[in-house]
Amino acid sequence: MASQANAALPDGYELEGYRIVKKISSGGFSIVYLARDELDRPVAIKEYLPSSLALRRPGELAPTISDENLPTFRIGLKCFFEEGRALARILHPNVVRVINFFRANDTVYMVMQYEQGRSLQEHILKHRERGDRKLVGERFIRMVFSQVMNGLREVHTNKLLHLDLKPANVYLRSDASPILLDFGAARQTLQADTGKLYPMYTPGFAGPELYEKNGSLGPWTDIYSIGASIFACMSGHAPQPADARLLNDKMASKYRDLADTYSEELLGVVEWCLRLDPLARPQSVFALQKALLERTPTQPKRSLLRTLRRFMRSLLPRGLRGSDPTSTISMNTR
Amino acid sequence: MRFSIYQESKKGGRKNNQDRMGYCFTRDSLLMILADGMGGHVQGEMAAQIAIQTIGANFQKQATPMLRNPQRFLESSFLEAHREIHHYRMVNKLPESPRTTVVACVVQKGTAFWAHAGDSRLYWLRGGEVIAQTRDHSKIQSMIMQGLAAPSEIETHPERNKLFNCLGSPSEPTVELSRKMTLRPGDTVFLCTDGLWSVVSEQAIASAFAGNTVMRAVPDLIYLALLEGGSRSDNVTGMAMTWEGSDLSEDSTGISTLMMPLGAMTTTIQTTRRTDLEAASAEALSDDDIEKAIDEIRATIQKSNKLIPK
Repeated sequence: MASQANAALPDGYELEGYRIVKKISSGGFSIVYLARDELDRPVAIKEYLPSSLALRRPGELAPTISDENLPTFRIGLKCFFEEGRALARILHPNVVRVINFFRANDTVYMVMQYEQGRSLQEHILKHRERGDRKLVGERFIRMVFSQVMNGLREVHTNKLLHLDLKPANVYLRSDASPILLDFGAARQTLQADTGKLYPMYTPGFAGPELYEKNGSLGPWTDIYSIGASIFACMSGHAPQPADARLLNDKMASKYRDLADTYSEELLGVVEWCLRLDPLARPQSVFALQKALLERTPTQPKRSLLRTLRRFMRSLLPRGLRGSDPTSTISMNTR
Repeated sequence: MRFSIYQESKKGGRKNNQDRMGYCFTRDSLLMILADGMGGHVQGEMAAQIAIQTIGANFQKQATPMLRNPQRFLESSFLEAHREIHHYRMVNKLPESPRTTVVACVVQKGTAFWAHAGDSRLYWLRGGEVIAQTRDHSKIQSMIMQGLAAPSEIETHPERNKLFNCLGSPSEPTVELSRKMTLRPGDTVFLCTDGLWSVVSEQAIASAFAGNTVMRAVPDLIYLALLEGGSRSDNVTGMAMTWEGSDLSEDSTGISTLMMPLGAMTTTIQTTRRTDLEAASAEALSDDDIEKAIDEIRATIQKSNKLIPK
């Protein structure tokens, strides 16, 4: 809520042996800070602070929680613990690692490893700004996402769903190995526990079941987002939002537009992930990985027309090369 | 829709806060509610809580993304809340039912509809003036209407606290509905409890919003009311929404719902109802549970750390 955004902890603030450097991001459920530990190593600290339930004004440390909101605040806390518990068990190179967990300022904090690099989203945007013909190569996509899926498999094995997978939440280390970040929306466990706090989602990357209040969420929901993220790598923008697709699905023509840059096989897998019917998608990450391996790419088709078009384009100054400047993948409603 | 909204509630000099408030909105519809649980009866705050949750839950069910008939929605939701309060009394075997005032407002398609029961008020403000307001369902208000008391006595008359209409009363309440009111950009709708209006004049309310955002004006008014009320101040609650229009505009500081997905709902009202209400305390974590959970997580982290090759 724009009007009741919470104040972040001040830069330089000492928190249980960590020193806050700056706020990195804030969502409706939490605030993430860059901090340094006692040995001056960088860490990321996530503070549980749902903005609709707890209010912190500038200059205050502990949030104000009304008596009326306290029970729900604590139910939300349960979800935060659920995330902490699951992530603490997961020791995987492609999943962010939890280092510490503590209570302070009337709320709780999760300390995670901080990695140098940039998000997949920044990676895509950089290529788009440069006007690269192919934003992200097929080999790169296959390499990054097979590792993302390795991490996601581990997450699902631990009865956790991510529920907000998108290029902004996939971080690339300098060696291009990806890490899954921000399980902020991973608040509903596979045990279909409660639905008191609705999961937040990002249009375009969220399957249609996330739009429904009692949608049946499962691995297939994260799989939709994987498909959407691969699509974003290919096209430079998010797919058409699922609710709009239910009324008038325009994805088929989008796949056709990509057909001369990417292999039929990869596009087929993306199309499979992005089916609106959850049951029509790969039902597990394993099934998806298998499909991706089996459907090996053949040489993408090169038509005379396309070669000609590329040649004509190369004659134009960079700014006029027809990439649509208004479409952006930075669609983040949180 | 574009609007800015702000709500705040203070305990004042009382032991607890029996006022409740909340708002929710979809892409095309906004609901604001405010309830003042009545002292002098048992568990007034529960009545206020049930009212907010019942009306909020109905909105979340029916605003898809617009209410078909806002007036009917308000009336039926108020009456349902009244029945829920009686149900709560029955389940918990209370000697009498808790009671509450309610004022609520729905905005959609640039028009506002409101309803109230009791003496929590709604003011409609334009250009620094009050252009409409609700009439309290209080004994003193009806005495004024009948010419038995002077309007100036409303804040001081010994009978000023007596209401003839509220939710949770033994008899079916009357839900007073407004007409359809067309909002203009810049208009403000302000909801408040008697803790505020009984000590802050209408003029002060109107001028607080002139040239001020709701984020400033509401805290100012609440501060003023607490100051006036002193150490014996009643609970003070206010919520205001300034309408910015239905169209897209660049210079908006408030909330724009235009980019909201169709099925999305933003809410400050947690709609745990009936069975949930009874189970809420069981589900929420106690301090001990929290400590235990943290210890558990820390132990897991340590165990995992041992597996890391150094």
